[in-house]
Amino acid sequence: MKAEYVNPFVESVKETFSSMLDCPVKVGKPMVTKDDENSQDIIGVIGLTGTSRGIVAIRLPVQTALNAIGRMVGMEFTEIDSSIIDGVGELINIVGGNAKAKFARQKISLSLPTVVRGNMYKLTNLTGTVFLTIPFSSDIGGFQILVSFKPGETQAYEKKEVAHAGANS
Amino acid sequence: MRVLIVDDSQIMRKIITGVLKKLDIEEIAEAVNGQEAVDIAAKDKKIDLIMMDWNMPTMTGIDAVKKIRADSNKVPIIMCTTEGEKEKVMEAIKAGANDYLVKPFNPKDIQAKLEKFLASFGK
Repeated sequence: MKAEYVNPFVESVKETFSSMLDCPVKVGKPMVTKDDENSQDIIGVIGLTGTSRGIVAIRLPVQTALNAIGRMVGMEFTEIDSSIIDGVGELINIVGGNAKAKFARQKISLSLPTVVRGNMYKLTNLTGTVFLTIPFSSDIGGFQILVSFKPGETQAYEKKEVAHAGANS
Repeated sequence: MRVLIVDDSQIMRKIITGVLKKLDIEEIAEAVNGQEAVDIAAKDKKIDLIMMDWNMPTMTGIDAVKKIRADSNKVPIIMCTTEGEKEKVMEAIKAGANDYLVKPFNPKDIQAKLEKFLASFGK
């Protein structure tokens, strides 16, 4: 998967955490996602459909999730409850929504977010692409973004136009 | 002043409620989807402002705006949403929304937008 398809999500995470949590984040090296059968992490997932398609998820260790949602609402949480689940759903909703606005000339719609905990799930990448994991670190803990994105015909068309213009110049 | 917060996320309703209380706005009603907002707006004519999310189950915020305006209800509506594209803003304004606040936002952004409305109410 090309960086141009992943960068909008990375930028969106930076903006969302900075604006809503007052929490700057550092981006780590992307890697191909591997299943973690022992995970107890909280996962928020959202789908993107339209001229491009994708799945984006945020995977937060329990303590990072408690810190993040606590920071969002100015409260202290000590256990996973409906507020944390709801907050993680809202986080991925904002990350996905903010990212989709960064894809030029694309008409993309968001699904409603889903939140799961632990290892009773399997994220399946879209046909013809892979799931990339992008790790982040911050003062509230580490977390990951998982992205599987399939660009639509509009972007392919734009590339063709650029190549054509280059050939004539 | 009475404000109706419409958002399916309890965390987002909590964040907005916190800002409203800081501004001494104590009369706050909540709805978790567009249909509830339409029903409350039809019954409660004392609402001075609606803060409306876009993507919600049962009925979206944009459909709720259209229905509220179809009832000739002129209550000010601020869209508070992740839908930040220019076309979406135009769609909301065309449907009858008065203003737009794009997520991610922080409490200061919400406060600035609300103060604009409070000023128009002379408060």
